[in-house]
Amino acid sequence: MMHSSARTPSAGRLRRRSAPYLMALGLAALAFVLIWLGSAPLVYLVTIIMIWAIATTGLDLVFSVTGILVLGHGALLAAGAYAFAILTMDFGMAGLPALLLACVAGALLGALMGAPSLRLSGLHMALATLAVSQIFFVLITVKLRGITGGTDGLPGVPRPELPLVDIYDDRIFGVFVVLMFLLALVVYARLRESPFGQILKGIRQNEMRVRQLGADVRLYKLASFAVSGAFAGLAGALLSGQSYIVGPEIATWMVSGELVIMIVLGGRGVFIGPVVGVAIFMLLKEVVSHHTPYWGGILGIVFILITLFMPGGLTGLFGGLFRRPTKARPAGEGRAAS
Amino acid sequence: MTATIILGLSIAMLLFLLTSGLTLIFGMLGVINFAHGALYMLGAYLAYQIGESSGSFTVALVLTPLALAVVGFGIERWLLRPLYARDHVEQFLMTFGLILVINEVVRIVWGFGYVDASEPAFLSGAVEIAGSQIPVYRFFLLGVGVATGAALWFMIDRTRLGIVLRAAMTHPEMVRSLGIQVDKVRTLVFCIGAGLAGLAGAVAAPILPIQLGMGFSIIIDCFVVVILGGLGDIRGAFLAAILLGAIQTVGQQYYPEWTEIGKYVLLLLVLMLRPEGIFSRGSGRLA
Repeated sequence: MMHSSARTPSAGRLRRRSAPYLMALGLAALAFVLIWLGSAPLVYLVTIIMIWAIATTGLDLVFSVTGILVLGHGALLAAGAYAFAILTMDFGMAGLPALLLACVAGALLGALMGAPSLRLSGLHMALATLAVSQIFFVLITVKLRGITGGTDGLPGVPRPELPLVDIYDDRIFGVFVVLMFLLALVVYARLRESPFGQILKGIRQNEMRVRQLGADVRLYKLASFAVSGAFAGLAGALLSGQSYIVGPEIATWMVSGELVIMIVLGGRGVFIGPVVGVAIFMLLKEVVSHHTPYWGGILGIVFILITLFMPGGLTGLFGGLFRRPTKARPAGEGRAAS
Repeated sequence: MTATIILGLSIAMLLFLLTSGLTLIFGMLGVINFAHGALYMLGAYLAYQIGESSGSFTVALVLTPLALAVVGFGIERWLLRPLYARDHVEQFLMTFGLILVINEVVRIVWGFGYVDASEPAFLSGAVEIAGSQIPVYRFFLLGVGVATGAALWFMIDRTRLGIVLRAAMTHPEMVRSLGIQVDKVRTLVFCIGAGLAGLAGAVAAPILPIQLGMGFSIIIDCFVVVILGGLGDIRGAFLAAILLGAIQTVGQQYYPEWTEIGKYVLLLLVLMLRPEGIFSRGSGRLA
């Protein structure tokens, strides 16, 4: 049994391994078709969903794989958005390198935000991430308003320009976002299966044991925050390019909270949970707000009902269809043993 | 100077009123109630409405906490009770949903704009101390804060009810075996917590603009106080509120641009270095 599976992976295992990539490809293909054939509002909706899905997918690495509740993730999006806007507008940098540096900015702030996890866990850690994001929020609205435009933000952010195509055509930009989305999902799938991802999962399940196995738990935690921040930075930059503006609102705790909620809605610990969650959240927002001005309250009622009756999130309803790894443990509980 | 101190202390007492409910609910139920700010806002609107309808501030001051306690009863009984055994994330989702629902209710009933509640006649005016005019209402705030703090401390530390409350948190099974209905104790705690949010809203109504966002930013200040004071620690929350009030008053006078940042840096430092709270006298104490 051991031998055969080590030499030639069984068909089932192969299928299981390739399943995330196929799902990523399927979602990207669906998004591509919708963007290519859809009407302008649909193009907008799908593009926005893809961008936020990049952010939630990154957050999922820390939140569901490593098992740390983050209540300041919005600041990481803001870091990417502001980095992109300032680099392109003030320094005249080209779009693609600026996009890369936006990821770096997100990763750096992410690592900083993750630093308290070396000492803290659970709710204390969640509040520490909130504190870091609040400091960042105050910095961009007050201290650095000379460069960041304060509460008004920075209007006129360009999109990452590409040769041969017109990125300012919303359809083209949508396709570019689909490619970024596919890239993000593939990287995420790869990370989850890699030894790195396995160790992160181990930290969630039993931090003490992972430490005793010889892994430097602190480095791994920081790295997971940095990777997560890079995803957020990319999403933030794309978001500012999409709307041509960057403002401090994305750094508020409400946005950070929404990011967590989207993941929980979709299903925590499920590969496409973060994507499904964003799609449901945005669809609810768009569809309900078309029919009634009271969409905020209705969204609230939906959250409450889902918490009460669907603890596994929406993908939890179709448990057989999606591979559901071991149930996610409460954030940071692993630390309780240490 | 005296004026600054009294102003700072009155801000601190308002913060304490708001935080006491939050930290009580956390300490006794283990639930971080993100909707606490929304309950406070609902309290301010209700106090305004009751005050307008009855023409009496005192009536509003008495009825608002009771109304919020009833709201709290509903929330605890039907929405939070199923979640105690689940993890913090689901409580977060639930309370976040509650924020949206409460905001919507307020928007439907009172609309988007500001409303202004007037100070009651017997608390208006000012007294002169050391050459500066200090509104009487500030002294009233001080009084309410100190009285509430003392009452909570007395209830938790010195009464039979307090013993049951504390025991129900640490040893729910044992308390249940002794014939006490732990579920009802928890409901009571949440009602008191929500009632305190209502009280904070009612006393804030005459001095702050009553608006939709009023619970949104202050909840973060409350978290700072809760952490500085130690989670679930009423006495710590009282002292931490005074500390934060002082930081805000002095900071805004001398270093306005650094005050906010300083506040969160302090929060981070306390989280990292003294997660049990600055004023903690050891672990496990509640009051």
